[in-house]
Amino acid sequence: MATFWQPGMMPIQLLLTLGVLFLVFVIGHYFIKKSFGKGLPMLAQGTLVWVTAYLFYKYVVQPPIPHSLLYIYMGLITLVLGLFVSANEASWTETKKPIIDTLVGATPTYRGVRTAAFVALPLLMGWQTYASIAPPKEFPEPPELRTVHPAPPQAIKVQDRNFTLQTAKNPFRVDVKGDYLDVGKEKAFFDSNPFDPKAEGYLKYVREGGAVFFRNCHFCHGDNLDGRGMFAFAFRPIPANLSDPGTIAQLQETFVFWRISKGGMNAPREINPWDSAMPPWEEHLKIDDIWKVALFEYWHTGFFPRTWD
Amino acid sequence: MSDSHTTPTSTYRRIRWAVWAFIGGAVIISGWALVLNRAHAEEKKAASAGATYRPEKPSDEQLARGSKVFFKECVWCHGPEGAGDGPGALRLWPRPRNFNAGTFKIRTTASGELPTDDDLFLTVTNGLPGSAMPSWEGVLTEQERKDVVAFVKTKMVKDRDFQDKDEDFHVISFDGQVPSSPDSIKRGQDVFLNKGKCVQCHGPDARGNGNLTQKDDWGFPIFPADLHQCWNFRGNRRDPYNPRNVFREVSTGLNGTPMPSFADVLTVQDRWDVANFVIAQCPKVKIDPITVKPAINFVLTSEHVDGPLPTTIDDPKWNGQDPHFIGLGGQITRKPQNFNRRIENLWVKSLYNKDEIAFLLEWDDRNESHAEGTNLPAPINVADLTIPVAYYANKMVFDEMKPTFGSLYPGETYPEPVIYNDAVAIQFPAMWQKLTPPERPFFIHGDPIKPVDLWKWQSDGTAVAYTGHGIEGKTGEDKIEPRKTVLKAEGAQFKDGVWHLILKRSLKTEDVDNDVQFEVNKYIPIAFQAWDGDNGEAGARMALSAWYYVVLKPLTPTTAYVYPPFVIGGVFIGMWWVVRKAKSMQNGNGHSGAKKK
Repeated sequence: MATFWQPGMMPIQLLLTLGVLFLVFVIGHYFIKKSFGKGLPMLAQGTLVWVTAYLFYKYVVQPPIPHSLLYIYMGLITLVLGLFVSANEASWTETKKPIIDTLVGATPTYRGVRTAAFVALPLLMGWQTYASIAPPKEFPEPPELRTVHPAPPQAIKVQDRNFTLQTAKNPFRVDVKGDYLDVGKEKAFFDSNPFDPKAEGYLKYVREGGAVFFRNCHFCHGDNLDGRGMFAFAFRPIPANLSDPGTIAQLQETFVFWRISKGGMNAPREINPWDSAMPPWEEHLKIDDIWKVALFEYWHTGFFPRTWD
Repeated sequence: MSDSHTTPTSTYRRIRWAVWAFIGGAVIISGWALVLNRAHAEEKKAASAGATYRPEKPSDEQLARGSKVFFKECVWCHGPEGAGDGPGALRLWPRPRNFNAGTFKIRTTASGELPTDDDLFLTVTNGLPGSAMPSWEGVLTEQERKDVVAFVKTKMVKDRDFQDKDEDFHVISFDGQVPSSPDSIKRGQDVFLNKGKCVQCHGPDARGNGNLTQKDDWGFPIFPADLHQCWNFRGNRRDPYNPRNVFREVSTGLNGTPMPSFADVLTVQDRWDVANFVIAQCPKVKIDPITVKPAINFVLTSEHVDGPLPTTIDDPKWNGQDPHFIGLGGQITRKPQNFNRRIENLWVKSLYNKDEIAFLLEWDDRNESHAEGTNLPAPINVADLTIPVAYYANKMVFDEMKPTFGSLYPGETYPEPVIYNDAVAIQFPAMWQKLTPPERPFFIHGDPIKPVDLWKWQSDGTAVAYTGHGIEGKTGEDKIEPRKTVLKAEGAQFKDGVWHLILKRSLKTEDVDNDVQFEVNKYIPIAFQAWDGDNGEAGARMALSAWYYVVLKPLTPTTAYVYPPFVIGGVFIGMWWVVRKAKSMQNGNGHSGAKKK
């Protein structure tokens, strides 16, 4: 349960949370109706939904969404709520009533609220004006959206060899006899010891891939492949967490091969290549090493690469 | 109750109140005392249990489970025989532990003794910050961590036996903790300088530069800890400001290293005092719980000052702001890859006035270095192996590991031992105003299309503005060209393991295509690099940061005080108008209020 609330919500987490919130509202309102004879006033309902939505987007959703997006969401919600409360004449009148009562000061309580509003609103706006002109105490980091998995090219050239990403296969994904090991079948080796001197085929290449990983990759991607290696704290974006189901588990093995070979700096614009410390490993490693390290990453994390079919 | 027939006078009421207050107070205090007593007794029990601590013998099933974990997670660095020679060891310094002799640094047992199971469990759980050993919490379950500890201590420790009746386990007591206070820290400083002689290794300012010629039990060079970076203390248990961890290390020593136990030399109070002193050396910053490093804020600000900018590092004008932490990683993206950068961070402050901007850069470096052939302080004699500059540490690792893994990487050679200047650089995009955020030049000295403006200072005293076009992929050549732009380097000095430097330039220049032009209240990308000359760092072999932003903080404009009163008045009038309108509408046709009732 503790691992449920990971930073970086998956869409399913988001949907579940929204579903639960919806149920809480419907059931809660049902009970209020049952015990008091009438439901919450329209205006209160609307305000409650609006505030909950704001708090949810602002503080619950991880990673935090940029302000511009928050404004769009809240604008949409305001619009929908407006449509909802003005769906028929009765509900619109009910919504308007407390507002108009306050404006005209229908009872002493409403008059009190009106007086308070007359003091608070101008002061609030005045303070807002000051705050928007005066320089802020802290300068927040401007939001920078980037794509994590850009669209791969059709074919790439690595160290003068051409690879068609649709058809390329990891030459080290082979069984003891050297026959190609279909994705999924390597599961038989997940619990095996790659340092077994008798290890052959797949398992031996996992060992060699691990040796490459632990000489080159762990500095950023971490000894436990969680993207928190020794250098990770200094870089932005932070290195990919390979043990997260959202990274290599979502990708074809050839996609991984492409990203390792070409690194961040040669990747498409949408990932902000100018920020990426990911080396173009074709400058440092042999092609075989790159395939082996991909093999190792899947073995170690227990994920299977996606296949084309 | 006997007083029920009398009328309570006010005096009497007061007495009754006092009695109740007394009883209430007594109950609370005695309850509290009881809790404290219990805690104390438990602590005592734990401490006295130490003398009789005996590790349990792990079952064969547990060892089998632990073996699985070991050969999946640990073997890569610690090696198949646990000799600290896995494939990962080739590029690691500090090196992975060689378990064979049963030598473990982080323990609660006396010097030279084997660790308790709990010690090893906590090491696996928390990792060893500042080294490649990560925290395994969340990756391995508690049971898996216990299993792998059982496996390592039984199968990988070969020269000693945890079950041997002759092995003692004297667990230290944490009793008598002295809370940190200015007095305690002052006494701790005295212990550091005199009674404990910590200064001999850790250096006059405790930056780990007192004795750089030491070796560990395996003959590898080892540096004393830089006590200003508590987040890198291996034994900090991810709790860097807790003096308990320092007390433990001072009490037990670090087996396998030159750090001895001070249990016989220093009293319990001395050890707590020196622990408090050590923690007080470490800048108090927010720690990122995941990386166990200072949390990074990617926006640094430059404050406006009236009059001239400071020319010395101790000018009080610098005191108005906290230094900004800049994390540095090794440059491993292009050749030549620098897997063992020795400068981990910079601390930066910035001020500007109407003409100029100044950056104060400070960073820990154990050794001042100058390239051979410069007329500044004599370069270190690199042929002299008794000086274990980081370069030699890395080279020794490489030489030792090459026979084992050379077959995997036949062409790899280690660079020639050359000492270079220590250096630091600040980097900006050229013409940043023309780039649409978040687009920037490539963060490593720019790229062929988008150049950077690079201000590089070297320990020979030169400060030059370069145009950077990136690193050449095939050769690793740093493609930077010097320009004539005037940079001022002031107050540069190396003192007690720290470089200090002020770099200054005018806010605007005439060469707008190449020189960064500063504008107030704008997010201007900025990045930093550092070179440790005696680690063979020069050119593309460096430590570097990601892109940050620097914002020249604007002064509060007078309009900030002029506009709000108008806004307040305007809003008030507007509201009044709306109310009047609502009232007149209601009185006029009366539909909104009347219909409801």
